[in-house]
Amino acid sequence: MADQSINMLPDPVIERYKRDLDVTLIIENLKLTAEERFVRLMKLQEFAEELDRAGKQKESGRD
Amino acid sequence: MTDFAGLLRALGKTEVEFIIVGGAAATAHGSARLTQDLELVYSRQPLNLQRIVRALAPYSPYLRGAPPGLPFEWDVSTLQRGLNFTLITSLGAIDLLGEIAGGGSYENLAADTIVLDLFGIRCRCLSLRRLIEVKRAAGRPRDLEAIAELELIFSRQ
Repeated sequence: MADQSINMLPDPVIERYKRDLDVTLIIENLKLTAEERFVRLMKLQEFAEELDRAGKQKESGRD
Repeated sequence: MTDFAGLLRALGKTEVEFIIVGGAAATAHGSARLTQDLELVYSRQPLNLQRIVRALAPYSPYLRGAPPGLPFEWDVSTLQRGLNFTLITSLGAIDLLGEIAGGGSYENLAADTIVLDLFGIRCRCLSLRRLIEVKRAAGRPRDLEAIAELELIFSRQ
């Protein structure tokens, strides 16, 4: 049960951002434990670094 | 890559008092966004400064983004002279924050935390409600999408 004491008026800019969020990703994440979420984050970081490395390698191959 | 498990274990082993905040706290609460560093608000009590120095010393902490060779001593007096430190270590990036905008110090935030068991370490993490409040109060445009996601998570609990 959420703490309903949160008392902040909806911000129209934030509300607009909510429309474009991928809720399915959030739903999947909420099924995990906090530790599992960190393990997933580290895998994501590794993947991002690999993409970065591959991109740089491709660029340097063009020169 | 930041080794979140390694950093948390290192801090836990020496009983450092800290609160996970920022993107890492958002991850703990279910955010799907990618964050690169471990942001912590730490207690400025002298004993805690000693513990932080001892915890991170084996991992060669250095000022992130600073050119190599700057005179940076990782010791208690360096922590006493500063407040917020953005560091790179051999385990990855870690931000040690004495205070955060919209939230204040460790003592200000401690009551609004939850305790998580992460990688065998009991860690304080800023509550979702407080995390949203802090991010809103900080008023940074780059946080808007993150706040939207956190509010959606909050509404689903």
